[in-house]
Amino acid sequence: MRKVVPLLALACALVWASTALAVTGYAGPRFWYAGDAGASSYQSGWRTNDFNKPSSGYDTTVTFIDNVSYGWHATIRNRDMVTHTYWPSSQVKKAYCKAHSGGHWGGCYAN
Amino acid sequence: MRIRRYAVPVIVSLAAVVLAGGVVAAGFDWSTRSEELPDALREAQPVQVADIPSADGLAARGVFAQLTATGLLCISDAPLDDPQTGGGGCNPADDPLGGEPLSASLSYEGGPAIRTVRDARLIGLASTDVASVRVLMSDGSSRTVKLRRWTDAPRPLQAYGFRLRKSDLKKGIGPVAVIAFGANGTEVGRQTTGIG
Repeated sequence: MRKVVPLLALACALVWASTALAVTGYAGPRFWYAGDAGASSYQSGWRTNDFNKPSSGYDTTVTFIDNVSYGWHATIRNRDMVTHTYWPSSQVKKAYCKAHSGGHWGGCYAN
Repeated sequence: MRIRRYAVPVIVSLAAVVLAGGVVAAGFDWSTRSEELPDALREAQPVQVADIPSADGLAARGVFAQLTATGLLCISDAPLDDPQTGGGGCNPADDPLGGEPLSASLSYEGGPAIRTVRDARLIGLASTDVASVRVLMSDGSSRTVKLRRWTDAPRPLQAYGFRLRKSDLKKGIGPVAVIAFGANGTEVGRQTTGIG
């Protein structure tokens, strides 16, 4: 019992921590100018990529770039408040985001 | 001894929580939507609001709407048999067009050079005041987009899905804008776009 309690507590904390760690901010939050871009590290586990802004009207792109051909995958470009993409590939890739119009706050997040 | 027995797990737990909290704080933006959106999209039921027909050997897809518990209306372009694996955008449910007559979201696979793009699609919503939508291409030509009334929308809306021709992409011709026209043929809205 003496060993079970701390182990249980540690397991609960780690489960909570792993859930909380699921989304990673890789660019911002900051002010974006036209042409600004950001990228995450290369990982096989990335699945979603979002560019979050405080309001709509700002032209942004999110995509995944693989580490073999450096081609773009599941690219999305729009002026929505959240520009969102999903690429369920196990290939090693980085999340990439770009501001086309600029002049706004925002942050890019991969999961 | 009793203090030590309880102190160790408490300290370990607190350390893990503080560590996780620090990482989360670094990944959060001011809106906190970064954490909420993936969960909200998983839970929201997708409803198909328009079609993207098959063409050039590419499978048909759908335009799906999701009203999330976080108050967002998300529109995505996804496979018909797996509507929660698409990409697109989200706006507040009470302002799904962001104050404009239409929204436009470009999706593509390949690139960033146009000639290397294997599939490109445009999806979006339009107000009921919009009579027609055309895609303006980089060579000056334009393509007609079919609008479909979204009957179960939280407010009166139309939706569209459009697949760009492979022959255009191979020639380096891509979309530069999506234009909305009123009933009398005058332009009422325009969203610039482009590949790369």
